[in-house]
Amino acid sequence: MTGLAISGWRIAMTRLAIVAIVLAAWEALAASGLLFRDVVPSLVAIVQALWRLLGNPDFYANLGITGAEIGMALLIGGFAGLAAGILLGANRFLSRAYEALVYYLGPTPKIIFFPVMIMWFGVGTGSKIAMGVVSCFFPIAISAASGMRQIDRVLIRVGRSFRASAWQMVSKIYLPAMRAPLVNGIRLGLGVAIIGTLLAETKLSNRGIGYLIIQAYSTFDMPRMYALLIVLFVLSIGANAIISRLGAAKSPRAA
Amino acid sequence: MAAQRDVSSDRAPAVTATREALLAVEHVSKRFETSEGVISAVDDVSFSIAPGEFVSIIGPSGCGKSTLFNIIGGLVGDYEGRVTVGGNVIHGTHPAIGMVFQEESTFPWRTVLDNVAFPLEIAGVPKQTRLERAAHFVSMVGLSGFERRFPAELSGGMRQRVALARTLTSEPRILLMDEPFASLDEQTRLLLGDRVLQIQQALRQTTLLITHNLTEAVQLSDRVLVMTYRPGRLKRTVEIHLPHPRDSEVVSSDAFGHYLAEIWHDLREEASRGIKEDESRVLHGRGKA
Amino acid sequence: MSGTTLAASRSAARVVGVVTVLAAVALVELAIRGGAINRFIVPLPSEILLAIPRIIVDENVLHRFWQTTQEILWASLLLAVVGIPLGLLLYRVRILRLACETWVAALAAAPIVLTYPLFLVIFGRSATTIVMIGFAAGVAPVILKTIEGLVSTRKVLTDVGRSFRLSPAQQFWKILLPAALPSVFVGMKLGLIFAMINIVGIEFLINFGGLGQLINELAERYDLPGTYGAICFVVLTSIVFFDVTERLERWLRPIE
Repeated sequence: MTGLAISGWRIAMTRLAIVAIVLAAWEALAASGLLFRDVVPSLVAIVQALWRLLGNPDFYANLGITGAEIGMALLIGGFAGLAAGILLGANRFLSRAYEALVYYLGPTPKIIFFPVMIMWFGVGTGSKIAMGVVSCFFPIAISAASGMRQIDRVLIRVGRSFRASAWQMVSKIYLPAMRAPLVNGIRLGLGVAIIGTLLAETKLSNRGIGYLIIQAYSTFDMPRMYALLIVLFVLSIGANAIISRLGAAKSPRAA
Repeated sequence: MAAQRDVSSDRAPAVTATREALLAVEHVSKRFETSEGVISAVDDVSFSIAPGEFVSIIGPSGCGKSTLFNIIGGLVGDYEGRVTVGGNVIHGTHPAIGMVFQEESTFPWRTVLDNVAFPLEIAGVPKQTRLERAAHFVSMVGLSGFERRFPAELSGGMRQRVALARTLTSEPRILLMDEPFASLDEQTRLLLGDRVLQIQQALRQTTLLITHNLTEAVQLSDRVLVMTYRPGRLKRTVEIHLPHPRDSEVVSSDAFGHYLAEIWHDLREEASRGIKEDESRVLHGRGKA
Repeated sequence: MSGTTLAASRSAARVVGVVTVLAAVALVELAIRGGAINRFIVPLPSEILLAIPRIIVDENVLHRFWQTTQEILWASLLLAVVGIPLGLLLYRVRILRLACETWVAALAAAPIVLTYPLFLVIFGRSATTIVMIGFAAGVAPVILKTIEGLVSTRKVLTDVGRSFRLSPAQQFWKILLPAALPSVFVGMKLGLIFAMINIVGIEFLINFGGLGQLINELAERYDLPGTYGAICFVVLTSIVFFDVTERLERWLRPIE
């Protein structure tokens, strides 16, 4: 590609400049009182709220609950999605019969199922986990199914020629061969599981990060809400990055 | 091992004896900086082409012929030496030079006719006129009836014909082609070669073809310039005295065979050198070429 | 396998799929009637089916549908008018792109919709909140795909432009932009879908708007068949929406 390479240093400086400008504009907006009351609280107030939050054991208790809900959801939804995806990807007949169902149900708003989940699983963590499961099942199933289909057919023939059992085929050939699309599906699944679980918590809960957020809203404690959102975003983006990193690692470099 | 040829005495004559050169390449050299140091892609190449001539440059992979293509076409600058058209030195792209690229270069979002009319559209020619002129070149390459089709509906060979027609529409004084048929199978290449030659003869189009295909070079050209492996120099010129009009039947003639043998004699040495250097590069961990 | 048997097996598979799903529903119906499943938790599928026309008439579903559609249309306008130019800007100003692209990608993975209480504070419980959240949720893929389309234009196409001595403006309008258009359309499709999902979801959560709000209302009224029916209706609608956006994208995309 033509054009001079731009050094990493210049990029870092640009990023710093952008962050600085945004923060300065924020502070100016906060001080100006243009927006009513606390919609844009001063950065100092936000940092203070963040500090209080991170020092509060109650916060960590709630974080633990939300984390456990998401973890369970990913476990259940992940396995179900993986199993469904592998079946659909491996069997042309099943795929033609049922994959459209999964594909078209995927991009639907899942939170609207929440009233049903409450009826089935109660108002506690059960319904939140159920929301997470319903959310993450679809991206994982879809990426597993398409991941199966993009496996080089010759690898499957090699496995069959060595008479590998079904379980061996899955663990030694299918899963390694479709690691990249699968990890991507899990990454997406985590993202929607987080959203599904937390939205459910904001709707009806008395525990968890979603509950804390809506509580901050109803008490109009804006700095606290910002602090909670910051923590949430940092954790989500961090988890996303970790999964991407795990997925990209360890393929031998091409000669 | 054949006796070392004195390359300098075999250098192609800079100017063809009888006529004024239309395109002249004079002592062109190009060096690249790479992670392995400075590589000389092209080294002191000089040749000229007379009006109406069909000249091929042939060489092994890595001999710098594509670099030469880009230099003459003006897409690559910063080289030593000069390129002249009709006696005037040119820098960068020049309307007198039309390029046909090796890769897929038709615009997938335009119909065949709109692709071919593109240069006229750029030049601001009114719509009716340019579509008529484009249609003329579409039929010249044998794609009448396909004007409203999109490139995705055509085969690779047909798409390259569209690219050729598009360049011809700009009526360049010199047609510069970089292995345009590289991705086609042998038989399609032979037939397309026939057509290209017919067009070239009909238009008296001065043409420079870069290729690695021996048969193609001999089939189409009046002169074949053989390049060495890196650093690319002109090793030899072979004048092709096959009669015109030619068609692909000529490939089975004795004369054809002799020309092939003559060119391969020089080319083989260079191609072998290329392969050996590739192997040593991988062996010593410097990656692929 | 001959052509006809291949086609036959394809439709056979689809028939099997449809039949098994219907059979499952019938099984649920029997289970509820037999008392194996509590009918106060899962209403009879037949009741749900009957509830759908009822709510269409009673709850003014057409009007609600139009409300939700309007919100989606406004969000898509914002996506096109803000997202695509931002992508263009990041493409043109290389240092900005190198600095910001990873941030935008991170944003695409972040749970933006969870900031909805913030939007509530700023815009109140209104259609504006819903539209803004839809926009915020969908803007990242639009920007990213626009950049991707422009950056990944094959070099040979710009070389053709250079060989015909195109001015920079001509290069942009006649080569770069048309070459990038397929990617831009994919981005818009993704953005639209994210926007739709989040718009209906937020309507449900803040109890305002069209179809999403309907579900919330019916749930709060403990109208079980109505709630289930409304959910089915909304799911069907979103499937149709998804299908339409896919077709639109394919139709608009020049043949590649």
